[in-house]
Amino acid sequence: MSNYFYVSPEQLIKDRAEFAQKGIARGRSIVASLYDVGVVMVAENPSASLNKVSEIYDRIAFAGAGKYNEYDRLREAGVRWADSMGFTYARNDVDARALANYYAQHLGDLFTEGQKPLEVEVLVAQLGSDLRPTKLFRILYEGTIADEPRFSVIGGDAEVIRERFAQAVPEVVDLATTLRQAVTALAGPQRSIPISDLEVGILEDRGERRTFTRLSADRIAELLGEG
Amino acid sequence: MGLPLFRPTQDPGPSFLGLTEALGVTPAWGPPASDAPHATTVIAVRYTQGVVMAGDRQASGAYIASRDVKKIGAADRYTALAISGSAARGIELLKFAQLSFEHYEKMTDTALSLEGKANYLSPIIQRNNLSSPLPVLPLLAGYDPTQRVGRIFEYDGAGGCYERNDFATIGSGSPFAEGALRLGFRADLELEAGLELAALALYEAGDNDPSTGGPDFVRGIFPMMVVLDAAGFRELAADEVGERFRRINERRAESRGVAGGALR
Repeated sequence: MSNYFYVSPEQLIKDRAEFAQKGIARGRSIVASLYDVGVVMVAENPSASLNKVSEIYDRIAFAGAGKYNEYDRLREAGVRWADSMGFTYARNDVDARALANYYAQHLGDLFTEGQKPLEVEVLVAQLGSDLRPTKLFRILYEGTIADEPRFSVIGGDAEVIRERFAQAVPEVVDLATTLRQAVTALAGPQRSIPISDLEVGILEDRGERRTFTRLSADRIAELLGEG
Repeated sequence: MGLPLFRPTQDPGPSFLGLTEALGVTPAWGPPASDAPHATTVIAVRYTQGVVMAGDRQASGAYIASRDVKKIGAADRYTALAISGSAARGIELLKFAQLSFEHYEKMTDTALSLEGKANYLSPIIQRNNLSSPLPVLPLLAGYDPTQRVGRIFEYDGAGGCYERNDFATIGSGSPFAEGALRLGFRADLELEAGLELAALALYEAGDNDPSTGGPDFVRGIFPMMVVLDAAGFRELAADEVGERFRRINERRAESRGVAGGALR
């Protein structure tokens, strides 16, 4: 017969949170910010094919930090949810807030009921239109959802990077400045990130239905003034 | 609708058809009402730099149901899908194809090949047509960026997919359009010659087939004309198309309704 030991709920939650935080801290961070005409997501990602920043829908983008297999599954679910919603109703009815809430519920459920909490943090960005505002939603491993006004940071060093970026970019500016400061904030004072290790996605109106673009290395270099 | 999460063994992958089946929101592919309006003649012609397409605008059952239907749609940047047969099913198929190709691209971060798109539609057409008195028969045409040529795929009633290296027509007016295309097609057609041939073939179809709408000078509704080349899908302006058909009409009036022994 096995023995069951009493573990207080406080301790259980604390252990789970520590476990998730450790997993997330192993990955690199991501900065997402509004700029004058769009939203930019900047990730440090040495892999050219395992994306951290992706398109969900016409005006919605996704970024995930932490364990790749776990946040990529959430990305897939997001694409599926958005495409099915748009198919059933209309493209205009697909709203990032609803998706962010589903992510929050799912992460929250797994945190308390799952075998283990997911070791991820995700960002859902929405480019504004006549129907709804530009939004950044940050969802943490335990289901906390935050609606961030101007910029957001997820990943291991989020707090430190948030501080650096907030000081460097006190208001909404153009893409080049935002990108440069995001990269500087991600790198910190001790090091610099090579362009090949940067993954940058933007949501910006180009007169087409879809607004997401993943920037090429050349375009990133040009914006950073190294082209 | 909840968050669609799947176990790896039950995952539908990047197929939107698979996803709608897993979620239970698949369109009801099956027999439509017998008096449902159906769409008519669409033509695709290969030219040296891509494909030109032309389609009439009329949907008719026992009477004319609509005079301004757009039967050619951009399935994505380089691909057009044209529909004939049941209008309801055709428009649904067009919407489904557009979504499917984009869904695949977002899920996998790579665009589906033109051949992949053509094959994807086969089972959908098969499923609809084998149980339906009014089948849907699409025409898929596109610019293949890997081979740098225009390509055309047509389907038979059972969903079989066949690539054509010259031209293809669908809809009730296609025998008449096909006749004109057979006489006028050359492998070295340039854009202007391709557009003119497609317009002439559609004019023939509209002239002879009661369910194909010709140019409507009274209402200013003209056939839809599309070019697919390295720059992607573009629809020609209504003025430009109208002017082309006005010239054809004038030539026909001069020869009192016959082509006059030549394609003109």
